[in-house]
Amino acid sequence: MTIYLMTIAILLLIAPLLLSFIKALKMWLLYKKPISIFQGYRNFSKLMQKETLVSQEASIITRVAPFLVLSPLLATLLFLPPVTHGAFYVSFVDAFTITGLISLSTFFLMLLGLDSASSFGGMGSSREAFIAALVEPAMVLTIFSVSMMAGDLGVGQAGANLTAHFPKEHTASFLFAGISFFILLVAENGRIPVDNPETHLELTMVHEAMILDISGVYLAIVEAASSVKFIIFSSLFASLFMPFGMQFGFLAALVIFLAKLFLIATAIAVIEVNTAKLRLFKVPNLLGIAIVFAFLSLITFYVLGA
Amino acid sequence: MGIDFFIGLFLATLIVALFTARLYRLILWYSMNSLALGILALMVGKSLDDEAMLITGVATLVIKAVGIPYMLKYFSEKFHFVRQIQPQIKTHYAIMLIPAILVFTFYLSEPITHMVEGNANYVAVSISSLFLSLLLMMEHRHVAPKIIGFLSMENALFLLGITATGGMPMLVELGIFFDLLMAIVVMNLLFHKEEEVRS
Repeated sequence: MTIYLMTIAILLLIAPLLLSFIKALKMWLLYKKPISIFQGYRNFSKLMQKETLVSQEASIITRVAPFLVLSPLLATLLFLPPVTHGAFYVSFVDAFTITGLISLSTFFLMLLGLDSASSFGGMGSSREAFIAALVEPAMVLTIFSVSMMAGDLGVGQAGANLTAHFPKEHTASFLFAGISFFILLVAENGRIPVDNPETHLELTMVHEAMILDISGVYLAIVEAASSVKFIIFSSLFASLFMPFGMQFGFLAALVIFLAKLFLIATAIAVIEVNTAKLRLFKVPNLLGIAIVFAFLSLITFYVLGA
Repeated sequence: MGIDFFIGLFLATLIVALFTARLYRLILWYSMNSLALGILALMVGKSLDDEAMLITGVATLVIKAVGIPYMLKYFSEKFHFVRQIQPQIKTHYAIMLIPAILVFTFYLSEPITHMVEGNANYVAVSISSLFLSLLLMMEHRHVAPKIIGFLSMENALFLLGITATGGMPMLVELGIFFDLLMAIVVMNLLFHKEEEVRS
């Protein structure tokens, strides 16, 4: 139980670090002077001290929604697969619960965008709904097929099973699920081929458009929520699709797990530097590929057993 | 485990190629497809202890993964091919069509898989990639992507050969390689002709 709580605390602590790491690595790759990797924490403390202004037209939702954006994600953090062997984990949570909790958070983020009745907020919310609607089926299919391969529908149990005995005969469908989940990781966290997290250009922004109208503590909470979302997706990827290194002691396993997270962050940064942002109406094509791979993984598993 | 991984990679690169709308990217995916195939041939050859298959694997890596993509790119620069190759079948339909083809071919190949001993599902994957390369040929209007579809079909047949029969005779393989090289040369002439007609 201590290991379980400690892991969650560590994941929460390094969540802003990971996003700042991506940003710093991107700047370094573009021959710019990189920002400090602790910039995430500085932004958070700065925003916590700032005055919180709320638009006159805003209803109670603006005051409530930031907390409701963060809390489902915090709940999801408790249901992640274990990091080390023998650690406590919640075994009954399946693909639908995790996807549902993440969509709940997205739903309140969309409400937050709509609430202040600015044109940008509505635009951002509609785009987010457009993307989230396509992400969900693929995510359910992917996690479901991986849990079937692992032999247990619970995500936590599946992560533990995959490390204990990797299903060697199902490597092909495992690969398809991995490709699909990586696309989802990029899409759901608003990284570059889908959404650019750095611009405030009205044609391109999705996530930024929804949070334009909030400030201070609320903004700090929503920013924290987006970094927690990234850590959820990357640690799901690390424990479901890179299942190794859990059998060592707590410290070694934790170091390996963190190394996996930073590896994923590096991959994201390299992809962001090398690709241009997709047009919004091309995003369904990318997510369509994710859906095709998720479905393919499931049918390869069922029909061929490969 | 390794063979399963590369079989997956083979099918994955083919599926991504079906969604590509850029010629150079399509050539890159074809090259990746051939790379997976070459590594597969090497692995299968090593497990069967078949030296001839090792030679064909190396030949696949050299000719199909490097040589043919390089030549295709060279031609497309020389003859100024259209590089925006939007598939005729819209992505929305392709998302439904590709899984349908996969399911169909997986069940289609089920009777065959009972006859083959050992890794029966490789047969299913190669037959489905055969159908997918057919789709790749169908969904494009321009010549160059059609050629790539044709070459992918050859890759699928090669995969069927190495996995189902436990090693084709090397003579046949080398014959196919020379055929392909001849086909590329003939295509070069064709493009040359087309260029003359257009100008």
